[in-house]
Amino acid sequence: MGRSLDFVTEEERVHQLQFPVETQTLANGLRVVISPDRTAPVVTVGVYYNIGFRLEPRGRSGFAHLFEHMMFQGSEHAGKMVHIRLVNSSGGVLNGSTRYDVTNYFESVPSNALDRMLWLEADRMRSLRVDEENLRNQRDVVKEEVRLNVFNQPYGGFPWLDLPPIANRNWANAHNFYGDFQDLDAATLADVQAFFHTYYTPRNAVLLLVGDVEPANGFALAEKHFGGIPAGAPPPPADVSEPPQTEERRGTVPELLGTLPAMAIGYHAPPRRTPEWYALALADRALHGGRAGRIYRALVLERPMALEAEGGIHYPMGGLLDYNGPMQMVTRILHKPEYTSEQVIAAFDDVIGQLRARPLPASELEQVKVKLRSDFYSTLEGGAGSSVPRFGLMHYLACFTLFDGDPNLLNTALHGFLRVTPEELHAAAERILRPENRSIVLRLPAAKTASQRASQGDGHGN
Amino acid sequence: MATETVAPISPLTPPLDPERPVVWPERTHARLACGIPVRMVERHTIPKFSLQFIVRSGTAAAALTDPGVAGLTSALLRTGTAAREERAIDEQLRRIGADLGAGSGTDASWVAAAGLSEFSAELIGLVADLVRNPAFPAGPFERERRNALEAVRLERTSPAFLASERFRAVLFGDHPYAIVAPTEAQVEAITRDLLLAFHLTHYSPANALLLAVGDFSPPRLVEQLERAFEGWSGGEVEQAEEVPLPSHFGRHVALVHTPGSVQTNILAGNLAITRNHPDWLRLTLANAIYGGAFHSRLVANIREQKGYTYNPRSGLSALRRHGYFSVHAGVRNDVVAATLAEIFYELDRIRALPVRDDELSDARAYLSGVFSLGIATLDGLAGQLATLYLYDLPEDYLETYRERIRAFTADDVLAAARSHFDSANTQIVLAGDADKIEAQARLFGDVQVFDAHGKLLSAE
Repeated sequence: MGRSLDFVTEEERVHQLQFPVETQTLANGLRVVISPDRTAPVVTVGVYYNIGFRLEPRGRSGFAHLFEHMMFQGSEHAGKMVHIRLVNSSGGVLNGSTRYDVTNYFESVPSNALDRMLWLEADRMRSLRVDEENLRNQRDVVKEEVRLNVFNQPYGGFPWLDLPPIANRNWANAHNFYGDFQDLDAATLADVQAFFHTYYTPRNAVLLLVGDVEPANGFALAEKHFGGIPAGAPPPPADVSEPPQTEERRGTVPELLGTLPAMAIGYHAPPRRTPEWYALALADRALHGGRAGRIYRALVLERPMALEAEGGIHYPMGGLLDYNGPMQMVTRILHKPEYTSEQVIAAFDDVIGQLRARPLPASELEQVKVKLRSDFYSTLEGGAGSSVPRFGLMHYLACFTLFDGDPNLLNTALHGFLRVTPEELHAAAERILRPENRSIVLRLPAAKTASQRASQGDGHGN
Repeated sequence: MATETVAPISPLTPPLDPERPVVWPERTHARLACGIPVRMVERHTIPKFSLQFIVRSGTAAAALTDPGVAGLTSALLRTGTAAREERAIDEQLRRIGADLGAGSGTDASWVAAAGLSEFSAELIGLVADLVRNPAFPAGPFERERRNALEAVRLERTSPAFLASERFRAVLFGDHPYAIVAPTEAQVEAITRDLLLAFHLTHYSPANALLLAVGDFSPPRLVEQLERAFEGWSGGEVEQAEEVPLPSHFGRHVALVHTPGSVQTNILAGNLAITRNHPDWLRLTLANAIYGGAFHSRLVANIREQKGYTYNPRSGLSALRRHGYFSVHAGVRNDVVAATLAEIFYELDRIRALPVRDDELSDARAYLSGVFSLGIATLDGLAGQLATLYLYDLPEDYLETYRERIRAFTADDVLAAARSHFDSANTQIVLAGDADKIEAQARLFGDVQVFDAHGKLLSAE
């Protein structure tokens, strides 16, 4: 049997696992964060820019993501395909992603390629070299990405593309983050260069080295490759704030492929790292934490009305610790066709109602905390598939640096969650999980059913 | 035709430093009194460990008689045992900070759990109870069967699923590997008795394997496993008789008609080899150069040059008895023929001409480096161990992989490509709108058109 939790509190257990974090800031403002761990001869290198799809220019929806693609198209000393080839041929893998508030670029490589990786990342921070043909090419690639992930699969883009326009009022939070095709078509090379000069500066970025790196050597290499890049101007101030919501919002979107009705329910969360936010995060885990979570248990296992029910704060794009601005706690439900949307919402409301009616039993809150801690460890160790060691550690170090100015917050990240009491959780649920603070989007199978489509197929001539 | 793009490598590019040696994970072997072999690797990066319980029977074991039974059996394990109710299982897992999943692949079924090392005995006890004493309670059984029925209907609306289902059917003919999912009628025919029978036959110490990776001490873990599996018995599992594979002559196209699709899923390939074949690593290298890496020829051609697709990739899939090679891309409808032309151009090129020296050295470095990355995480290491022991690879497979990859020559790549990339007899599957793509498809062979339910709509 495992040891009883009575002897050691969850908070005390957290102190058992600490990650070394060393930081320097170059003269041009580039922050460098190193977390050494020399057990395996591999290192994960990341460059994070403090720009996500919230801040892309109006009339240029999808631009931040298209721009991310352009960062792989060539820089002064590493032309098209050279960056990719040099990472792969050093024995490494690479990728990038665009999120609400950051865009990241990362490589995992055997550690003997560290010097080369920093040279590559510095080259594209200093001098993006792209042309009309690159832009045309990547616009086509991005359109296929959107067709693949949104138009040509059941529930594509749901709910990350469908909920924000219903739930939010500020364009920054409410537009199509993948991009309308006419906006992608309208993007010019001048837009690309302007975006690069505005946001892709050392002062708006953090460099991360995680794994097999000796810190003094890592800082020296960072200075050698990035030190000479001009600091650039600070990016213009941006307003991503969202006005308070006063009544429930609803919308309906047709589902063109799938056979089952779906819905997403989103509640605006309080500002991150406030006591109420920590409390809501625990409520979120009690509601959404897997099969033991109250929503899954009620809707999928016990009633059972739904086939799928999952969610979280920042779901499905990320987690608790990697965004910086207004955000929702989202639940996504796929349910059986014999139930109406209203019946499912009523069942959902029963679950929410119980959470608002009385405090969570202490034993349930304790379980949720143990699971939160366990999940956190796994995210730090892996987090982006099995071939990017310590992706999660790099990712959280980057976010704490860019959003809060202190990567060391990583080592105390769990504390605020583990201190939440049943009463605080109850108060947060009571205040936040109100209908006036939520939006509901239904994604309903379009009138044309699968069997009708099949019979159209029968009529297809040859 | 593709023009070859070899952008110059700048002389300013920093050289690689001397390599630090890769430390190979030391495996501890044990065998429980009940007969289950155990393979363990210690890794103390975080205070967690993962445990995989595997039986060497997957969907193929029942595909010809009771499709869907293997998957539903594994899904039901966690819904109740003689001693535990479903809710108690879910809450116990949360209390000890653990995740648990169960499922079936083609050749194996598993229960995979990961949890905090401080609760290892509890998690091991739970896993053992699930695999030894499942109750298959009537309520959860009806619920999961209904869910499986909805899932079967739903997956028929996914063009990517339809392409992969048709591809396996074409390649494997009457072999159980041809079947990747049951039909609605087959799901409706599944009874609780069928699950009990599948469990009784296939979940047996003689058919099982235990793999553990992470923060534990092996002797103590073996003690905990012994206690949990003490007294378990069961018979040998008979190997099903081998069903002959179809022979493929010439290129043929199977088109799954998905009206209104704005993109076409291309999936093309041929039967190839298993991991035990002497050419496996040579062919892995040829695949990396052809289309198995971001910097590969196919990705450079149809994505980075031509912008036809976001997700082009080729791969080798090795099941226990047979393997296959496949190329995949989702492309816009007006470039289906153009994409197939490039797929075959690159295929014929790698069969006809030796690869360049720099391509060879790039790909060797890529595969050997990525192999090191792949064992640097708990999940990656657990996956490598599963491959090693489930497919009965030589014990030194991990340790010798890099040196073997690094020793191959351009002649090795050419020979492997010629033997196993069967360009002339490639089978092509397209999932897309026949009205938009059928004429393009016909340029590559005779075309059979199917609907989403597998009904033949037309054939040349």
